[in-house]
Amino acid sequence: MSSTFHLQTITEDGQLLLKKAQADQIETVWDRHQAQLPQCGYCDLGLSCRNCVMGPCRVDPFGEGPQQGVCGADADIIVARNLCRMIAAGAASHSDHGRDLVEVLAQVAKGQAPGYAIRDPEKLKSVAAEYGVETLGKDILVIAGELAYAMQEDYGTRITELALLKRAPAKRREIWKKVGITPRGIDRETSEMMHRTHMGVDNGWQSLLLQGLRNALSDGWGGSMIATDVSDILFGTPSPKPTSVNVGVLKKDQVNIVVHGHNPVVSEMILMAARSSELIQLAQSKGAAGINLAGVCCTGNELLMRHGIPMAGNHLMTELVLSTGAVEMMLVDYQCIMPSLGQVASCYHTRMISTSDKARFPGMEHREFHPENAEELAKTLVREAIENFDKRRKVYLPVEPVQSIGGFSVEAIVGALGGSAAPLIDAIKAGKIRGAAGIVGCNNPKILHDYGHVTLARRLIENDILVVDTGCAAIATAKAGFKMPDAIQFAGPGLKEICGALGIPPVLHLGSCVDNVRILMLASALANALNADISDLPIAGAAPEWYSEKAVSIGAYFVASGVYTVLGPMPPIAGSLNVVKLLTEGLRDVVGAVFAVEPDPEKSAILIRRHIEERRKALGLGFHTL
Amino acid sequence: MNQVIVHPERCVGCMQCMAACATAHSRTRQLFSAIRETPLPKSRIHVGVGLYDEGFPNRCRHCNPAPCMLACLPGAIYRDWRTETVLIDPDHCINCASCAMACPFGVIRYHEDTSAPPKKAVAIKCDNCLERQQQGQAPACVEVCKSGALTFEDPSKALKRKTDQVSQSISAGFDIPQGSPGLTLLNTIKRAQIAVGKAA
Repeated sequence: MSSTFHLQTITEDGQLLLKKAQADQIETVWDRHQAQLPQCGYCDLGLSCRNCVMGPCRVDPFGEGPQQGVCGADADIIVARNLCRMIAAGAASHSDHGRDLVEVLAQVAKGQAPGYAIRDPEKLKSVAAEYGVETLGKDILVIAGELAYAMQEDYGTRITELALLKRAPAKRREIWKKVGITPRGIDRETSEMMHRTHMGVDNGWQSLLLQGLRNALSDGWGGSMIATDVSDILFGTPSPKPTSVNVGVLKKDQVNIVVHGHNPVVSEMILMAARSSELIQLAQSKGAAGINLAGVCCTGNELLMRHGIPMAGNHLMTELVLSTGAVEMMLVDYQCIMPSLGQVASCYHTRMISTSDKARFPGMEHREFHPENAEELAKTLVREAIENFDKRRKVYLPVEPVQSIGGFSVEAIVGALGGSAAPLIDAIKAGKIRGAAGIVGCNNPKILHDYGHVTLARRLIENDILVVDTGCAAIATAKAGFKMPDAIQFAGPGLKEICGALGIPPVLHLGSCVDNVRILMLASALANALNADISDLPIAGAAPEWYSEKAVSIGAYFVASGVYTVLGPMPPIAGSLNVVKLLTEGLRDVVGAVFAVEPDPEKSAILIRRHIEERRKALGLGFHTL
Repeated sequence: MNQVIVHPERCVGCMQCMAACATAHSRTRQLFSAIRETPLPKSRIHVGVGLYDEGFPNRCRHCNPAPCMLACLPGAIYRDWRTETVLIDPDHCINCASCAMACPFGVIRYHEDTSAPPKKAVAIKCDNCLERQQQGQAPACVEVCKSGALTFEDPSKALKRKTDQVSQSISAGFDIPQGSPGLTLLNTIKRAQIAVGKAA
């Protein structure tokens, strides 16, 4: 049989490792996707409902069979309820991740989290001030405790408006208020979303979707924003650092430890342990040249942003990274960790460790991390990884790593611009940079792996559109070599000139998927500087290969914040053309931005360029008609 | 006489026909208990996947003449002349696979079945749910299909309906009915998605 690996991934390491995995009889995410085909059309259309036990129900898309569920809900209601529950799950995931960080912050304040510290006291003070916490003359740990308490209030019901909404432009906040979607409490909106989608509560498909937007905003301007800010406070605000990407970052002669998941709470402690001279000496005594820590997915992005830790791969690569046979230990926390990983690892010597009290996996050993034991447990586990080194059998590392630069927090971008956003705004006004686009989101076996991210990024920078990216998208473009200063050779003349002068790549790595809030803050800074709303800006968002409920929440808070957003895969909404129309047209009159769906990244690049030129025209800037 | 008719353009690939078929051919006839039986009942209708990830319910056509029947050396395959149904006698089947080789549609499987002697794999295929039909029920696959991809009706009636549809479509000023606009939208995007992967 001829190989179809090039139809699965555009990456060289991916194709070579797929071949290796096949020889090793490893079943991958692509195999399981193939086995699921054809996937259920009712579910794909959003027309099946399992919300109660009068059902399960489904609506016939051809109009002849049942048109309502047992309760009487029609296609519009069922599709809206299902989509809203996806948003609720996504918002809950990001926000619960944020809560875990706030709890660490509170424990640090009490001195009960050995190993953790306030690494960015300046950011602590500035965020505390935003929360109305008095900072003058106060001990740093006291501020940390009070800030943690204030943030916990954001999760509760005693406030009427999230504290960090103040970061949004006034015009945007006015829109939220007018439409009635100002998020009140982080958990409240998710809770209310689940309530409204219970049988017999909200049966207005429009009002359901508006609560969906409010729920998403409670993630973007609440849970995720807290997650990013507290991560910066505890582990340092990122600044540009060289790093390297793809599976070649694993080392033949070193103990390879890979962290997978999302929350830096565990991975930061593993990093500290991996850098301890005592453990490095132990590794050397076992015949290894050292300890090599690498990441996959977003906890990898967190370490990459702050410490330049190399990145072995994104979502669809997580099984293949194990099939190198070079990983002594993989530690996972939560989100996007395929339950198949334990089985893959069982074919090699790799030890799999789950670390979170809320996330367990088959074939993994559970070693629970808490702030009070994290420092010690991390050392113990790194020691165990070292002891696993001599059990390694044949190793297959077929590629050399690609060099990359990560670490572009908003603070770092403003720093690179010389202290204010003015040079960027001038370049946009002059038309050297047409606008900016955020490429975010996951991988999905329905889409040729990395093709969506890489193609879209290439076309956008060719068109003088600055790209900022996060999550698995950011790893994809890094592997393609777009995150080195010399990648300006792929950029249009204007973007090439500006990035060349600043010495920055044309595609900027802004972090993990909770770090999408850095894009919101950057957009707010631009809008405020222009005395405009976010929806007035020549910017756009894209999720060319998204798969997760978290991505639905991100897309919804982008649109609700005024950012035109192009999705690759179709969300499960085609069963209701009313819902499709509202999300792709109607929302323009409500929040000033809409979704588009376009699986072909070549075409989504055109959609984005066209949108950016329209916005330039409306702002009175030079524009081209496409 | 009523027959099962497949309307491929309406299949949404939910595979509910497969679960219903397996249940209808189980000992207990109830889904929740059927999945705990030994041998596990298996479906005789098979939803395949098309070029664009769309489903197609593939079932025995009960051909006449039936290639499987002609290929069956022990004479285990016969026709129920009253219902035109091609049936396999599990007691005479020798599990030689000749019928499967002869079948142009690939709808014959080999496995243990509650209708066959224990521990013996036999050739299994659609029996038109004759037992259900005797009780006045439609075949199980038709009963659960909510999108209209499987109907149980007189073929002449179905063909007349189709003829009328075609006739109406050439009437002046007639809007061609789209079927399901939502499903058309979804399928268009799925096709684009697959085309993008292949072209890259």
